[in-house]
Amino acid sequence: MQNKKKILIVDDIEINRVILSEIFKEDYEILEAADGRQALEMIGDDQNISAVLLDLLMPEMNGLEVLREMNRQGKTEMMPVFLITAADSEQMLLEGYHLGAVDVIRKPFLAHFLKCRISNVIELYGHRNELERIVEEQVDRLSNLNRSLVETLATVIEFRDGESGEHVKRISSLTKILMGQVSKMYQEYRMSKEEIDKIAMSSILHDVGKVSTPDQILNKPGKLTKEEFEIMKQHTVKGCEILCKIPHIMEKGLYDYSYDICRHHHERWDGRGYPDGLSGDDISIWAQVVSVADVYDALTSERVYKKAFSHEKAVQMITNGECGTFNPKVLEAFGACIEKIERKSRKNKET
Amino acid sequence: MGVFMGLLEELRELGVNTDEGVQRLMGNASLYERMLGTFTKLMNETSIEIEEFDRDDCTELIEKTHALKGASGNLSVTPVYDAYTEIVNLLRRGNPGEAKALFEKVLPIQTEIVQCIERHK
Repeated sequence: MQNKKKILIVDDIEINRVILSEIFKEDYEILEAADGRQALEMIGDDQNISAVLLDLLMPEMNGLEVLREMNRQGKTEMMPVFLITAADSEQMLLEGYHLGAVDVIRKPFLAHFLKCRISNVIELYGHRNELERIVEEQVDRLSNLNRSLVETLATVIEFRDGESGEHVKRISSLTKILMGQVSKMYQEYRMSKEEIDKIAMSSILHDVGKVSTPDQILNKPGKLTKEEFEIMKQHTVKGCEILCKIPHIMEKGLYDYSYDICRHHHERWDGRGYPDGLSGDDISIWAQVVSVADVYDALTSERVYKKAFSHEKAVQMITNGECGTFNPKVLEAFGACIEKIERKSRKNKET
Repeated sequence: MGVFMGLLEELRELGVNTDEGVQRLMGNASLYERMLGTFTKLMNETSIEIEEFDRDDCTELIEKTHALKGASGNLSVTPVYDAYTEIVNLLRRGNPGEAKALFEKVLPIQTEIVQCIERHK
C-alpha cells in the first residue's frame, strides 16, 4: 500500500469522489478533499501525489483558485492536474489550461477511458520527473568535480605561498558578498545567484599564476624593485597560460570567469592597472569586484613585507584611492556591505 | 409493482440507466446501490424551492442545479440528469421562466425515483 502512487480527488460532491475513487483505488492510494482549501493543505509538501483530479465548481475555494495557487507554487510542473467539469464554461477551461491543467475530465465519467488517460499522463510525468532528477544529479556531480579541481589548483598555490593559500579562500567568500551587493544595487550589473556562485568559485584561481613567480620575489620581506615588480605582474598572464592548458577540466562558464578574473584582477578603473591597461567597464564587473576583495584582504592580512592594517584603515585606503582607482558603483556597494564583509573576513581568519 | 422487484429493476422502469451506472463503478452493483443512497441524501439536502426561479440573482440556484446535474449524470439517473442539464443551460442563458417550467415537470419523476430508492434502503 505504501508504495502505491497517490491520486488526490477534489470534489465537493461525495458521489463524484466515490466514483473516481472506485475507478482508481486498485492502482493508486486515494486522497480525498471536499473543497479547495482542504486540497491545498493536503498537497502541502507531499511529493508523492501523482495526479490531482480537480472539480471546477466548489464552494469555499473553487478549482481555478486552487490551480492558480498550485501554479504560483510551481506544483503544476511536478504533478498533472485534471479538471473535472460538466462541460461548463469554455472560458474557465481555457483559463485552467493556461494555469497548467493537463486535461479535462467531463462528467458523467467514462471509467475505462478515464483510467487509461489519467494513467498514461501519470506515467509520462513519472518518466519526466525521473529524467529531471537524473540530470540534476549529474549536474551536481559535475559541479562538485569542478569545485574539487578548482580547489586542487588553489592548494597548489598554498604549497608555494602559505599566505595566498588562505587568501584565495577568503577572496571567494568576500567576492560572493560584494558581487551579490553590486548585483542587488545596480540593474546593469544584475546577475543570478548561480552566476554569482560561479564567479565566487572562479575567484579562487585569481592568483594561480603565482606558481610561476620565483620564491625570492614571492616571499621577499621588503619592497620589490622595479624589475622584480615587473616579474610579479606577470602572474596575471601566466595564470591565464596555465588555465589555457586545462580548459577541458572545467565547465565552460567557470573557465571563462576564471580566465577573465585571472588576467584582469589588477586592472584599475582609470586604466592604470595591469596587464592590459583596461579602463572603466571594459574591465568585467566580476574582475572589478575581485580587485576590491583582493586589495581589502591583502591590506587586512599580515604579509612578509608588512603588518596587517585594521578593517577601518583598509576601508579608508580603498575608498580614498591609495590602492588605485575603483569603479564608484563598486565602492558604493562595498560601503553598503562593509559590515558583512568585515564579519566574514574576521570569521575566516579566526578559522 | 415495486414490492416484488429489486431496486435496480424498479429504477430501470423509471428510466434510470442502471447498467451504465453500474459499469461506471467498475461493475460494482452493491456500491452503485450504496451511491444511490448518497444520491437521495444529496437530493433531500439540496432542497430547491420553486420561488427561487423568480429571484433576480440565480447564482445559488445555478450552483445547486449544477451539483444535482453532476451527481445524477454520474449515476446515470437519466431523467433527472437530462432535466437538470437543460435547467442549468436555461438559467445560464438567463431564461429562468422556462427553467422553472422544466423543474416543475421533473419534480414528480425525481420524487418517484428518490422514494423508490428510499423504499429499498
